[in-house]
Amino acid sequence: MTSTLDQHSQQDLQHGHPAPRRRGIFMRPGYLRALWVTPLFFLIGMYIVVAIRALAGWDPVYDWEYIVLIAGMVTAPIGFLLGIGAFDYWLYWISGRPTLVDDHANHGAYSWKDYFKVNTDHKVIGIQYLVTTFFFFTVGGFLAMLFRAELAQPGMQFFDTQTFNGLVSAHATLMIFVFIIPAFAGLANFALPLMIGAPDMAFPRLNALSFWMLPVAGTLFLASFLAPGGAFATGWTSYAPLASEQPFGQVFFNMGVQWAGASSIATALNFLVTIITMRAPGMTFWRMPLLVWANFTTSLLVVIATPFIAGSQFFVMFDRVMHTSFFTPDNGGYVLGYQHIFWFYSHPAVYIMVLPGFGIISEIISVFSRKPIFGYRLMAVSLIGILVLAFSVWAHHMFVAGMADWLRIPMMISTLLIAVPTGIKVFSWLATLWEGKIHLNTPMLFALGFISTFVIGGLSGVYLAAVPIDIHASDTYFIVAHIHYVLFGGSVFTIFAGLYYWFPKMTGRMYDERLGKLHFWTTFVAFNVTFFPMHWVGLDGMPRRVADYAGTYGALNMVISIASFVLGASVVVFAYNMITSWARGPIAGSNPWRAMTIEWQVSSPPPVFNFDEIPQVVGGPYEYGVPGARHAVLKGGALQEAHT
Amino acid sequence: MIAVVAAVIASLVAVLIRWLPESASEEMDRITFVYWFATIISIGIFALVAAVIIEAVWAFRVQPDDDTDGPPIHGNTKLEIAWTIVPAILVISIGVVSAVVLSKNANAGSDPLEVKVFAQQFAWKFEYPGKVQTEELVMPLHRSVKFEMQSADVIHSLWIPQMGQKQDVVPGITTKIVITPTRTGNFTLICTELCGLGHATMRAPVRVLDQAAFKRWLDDQRAAGAGAAAGAGAAAGGGAAAGGASGGQSGGGAAAAGDAALGKTTFASAGCGGCHTFKPAGTDAQVGPDLDNLVADAKKAGEPADQYIEQSIVDPGAVIVSGYQPGVMPTTFGKTLSPAELSGLVAFLSGKEAN
Repeated sequence: MTSTLDQHSQQDLQHGHPAPRRRGIFMRPGYLRALWVTPLFFLIGMYIVVAIRALAGWDPVYDWEYIVLIAGMVTAPIGFLLGIGAFDYWLYWISGRPTLVDDHANHGAYSWKDYFKVNTDHKVIGIQYLVTTFFFFTVGGFLAMLFRAELAQPGMQFFDTQTFNGLVSAHATLMIFVFIIPAFAGLANFALPLMIGAPDMAFPRLNALSFWMLPVAGTLFLASFLAPGGAFATGWTSYAPLASEQPFGQVFFNMGVQWAGASSIATALNFLVTIITMRAPGMTFWRMPLLVWANFTTSLLVVIATPFIAGSQFFVMFDRVMHTSFFTPDNGGYVLGYQHIFWFYSHPAVYIMVLPGFGIISEIISVFSRKPIFGYRLMAVSLIGILVLAFSVWAHHMFVAGMADWLRIPMMISTLLIAVPTGIKVFSWLATLWEGKIHLNTPMLFALGFISTFVIGGLSGVYLAAVPIDIHASDTYFIVAHIHYVLFGGSVFTIFAGLYYWFPKMTGRMYDERLGKLHFWTTFVAFNVTFFPMHWVGLDGMPRRVADYAGTYGALNMVISIASFVLGASVVVFAYNMITSWARGPIAGSNPWRAMTIEWQVSSPPPVFNFDEIPQVVGGPYEYGVPGARHAVLKGGALQEAHT
Repeated sequence: MIAVVAAVIASLVAVLIRWLPESASEEMDRITFVYWFATIISIGIFALVAAVIIEAVWAFRVQPDDDTDGPPIHGNTKLEIAWTIVPAILVISIGVVSAVVLSKNANAGSDPLEVKVFAQQFAWKFEYPGKVQTEELVMPLHRSVKFEMQSADVIHSLWIPQMGQKQDVVPGITTKIVITPTRTGNFTLICTELCGLGHATMRAPVRVLDQAAFKRWLDDQRAAGAGAAAGAGAAAGGGAAAGGASGGQSGGGAAAAGDAALGKTTFASAGCGGCHTFKPAGTDAQVGPDLDNLVADAKKAGEPADQYIEQSIVDPGAVIVSGYQPGVMPTTFGKTLSPAELSGLVAFLSGKEAN
């Protein structure tokens, strides 16, 4: 056998040049290099702006708004990514210099420090995603509690209105763009290659770059609080023309979305190629676990839709910084155009934020009911149905916006029809539960909690699809209630379910079941007490995004605020459970849930390259109760199925 | 059994809480009908789902050490077709009812009252036939009011909760909405589209009068409006006659007083009170600087008071009072206020009492 060293020298001979020499501490990829490359790139961006302004004779030459925009939001982040080493391999390759022969040098995590470096291992990246997004989740939740304190009583107590609007906008933006969407990318990053029997994602370095763009986006969103005039304060929808007239903080939103969107698109492309080309032998599309199906459809949505929000944010920013008039009423601009383009992404984004959750729930319901998924093929087809319909419903956000009247009825019909494939999924989960052998572990509790809250969110969605009701309820707290039943009761519950479900696979240890159940019940109760009354205050006349409101809603808002603080406290239980269990929980074993999908057939945590030999898939993924059925056959060092 | 209990609980929640405000318009009556149509269907579906989950957990839960599997049921084609077709029929029925109601709610009938609505940060203005402009919305009972709405700056949205109808007011286009009041009383019109820092307080009073009272009110407004317009014209004329930059001061007491009176109404109609405290106008908002200190602020900036005030209205970013942020106040007042209104506002704010 050739040793690694021999391989190196052989490769060197083939390429005809020596292996790269070891570099000094400030030249090696890492934070020390980022420490000087980032400011360097800031200066480069700054002097591009200054040079252009000086040449054109514009006054002042040092205009800090443009400098911060170009240098702070474009070139400095590129410098940071360059510094930590996200581009190293590509740059070596492009410039014809010797690359590290071992493509997977940055694979695996051997100490906690490895999680803070650029790493190409999908399992490490998955955990990086989850920890980072959880950080933004807590920050976003903290912002929510700040404005819930303001809203506990009518009148103004703690913040002025611009700050309040900024808190509301930053809360939604953090939760959507740097928590929910990437948290699903993190879970899928970890689980999906294992589930289809692949050694990694198709493009591991692109995968790493996708992840590292996220902290950039999140930092931009948060940095907007330091801007003169405060954080962006136009809601996460950032409607034109208000957005192009607001203080400078608005630009942090426009640009932050670009970074988050680029991350999202690259990841989705990666998932698509991985799913299409890297399935293990025998893993036909009709044998893929539903989580894989869900991420396949989600990735298609991301790839097709996300460029639209990128465009809308660029244009609305150009209206501000370059005095164009894409979305201003004068000079031929089209105000409603912003909303059409924005929602052409942002409605599919709702499914981007819930389809992966559907996949997670399908895995969990089947495993913890010990039964095959009821109607597997229809479950997969309904995902495709949602994918197609998702692109034909965007204008239901605009029933009162002043768009062409005739557009309302077709948009209403397509919106109502999307309830059909969603209903199929709910009924199929219920049928899977029926006559099963139900184990109420924490993931299952969150899955059942998800179904009940998501049905409420889905039904209030039917109300909003009906144009006359929407005309009354639009832009009120009813909408706030609906979106939280869908995105918290829907997406966040499934993220929690998935985290508990794969926690033993990720860490090799078991979480504390008692604390998990405590977390579920406090979350479930506090969630409903927080958000259910919002339906009521909204229909009765309380608009959304207001710092002050009519005194008659005081009592209910106090209840809502108190419940929201309990909801915040429940996250502490979760964080404590995760951290302590990761450090010293009991050893979990490779397959604590006796699941059939492939990720559970390897050790916990899985080996660095997942499989010694690519598994052979021989049957469906959910053949519980079928005598002698196997999903996949693994050879070599991988463990045999735990249960007999 | 459990399904029945769940349905009863869900129905009680739906019936006992007064979800919608008491209707005050024909359009809201129809919206309420669609609402209940959807609610009955929703209660059925929610009760079914809740009942199945509870029953399944109740009946099929096993001990943690039970290693057996459930029956390998992969599906049931008839059942799957049923839960595709039945929900499709239900949602389509909601769609048909909605479409009928929508077309009825957009119909203003043969003799609507036409009211123009002008929205701007952060105030509402209404114009009745005959160029009568008001800051309060007054509607006749049982007669359809057809609103034609325009915005001077960003998107706003008009909503009177008891009347259901809502429509965005979009700069650059004219949007329409119909409301037919069915009971007299006082209501509040609120802006429901985030329009900037004064959004939460962008409201206007609404009154519904019976038709005779409405006619009297409108006639009064017409008479008063003619007088006010004449007064404003005279004031502007007086200022112009005095001529030059010092018009306000040299124009004499009568012209200054006329200016200030127009300034007081402009202060209210332009929505200044939404953000600023100003004792003569009786406002106490704290978003922007306290305008009672204007003269002192002008001294600090080293400018004559009148010039400082006018500049701060037209170009609010020129001088920022310490403790406040730039870029918050709308920059459109230079365009939306007439010269007479602007000079009146300056007179009012600089302390020339409106008598």
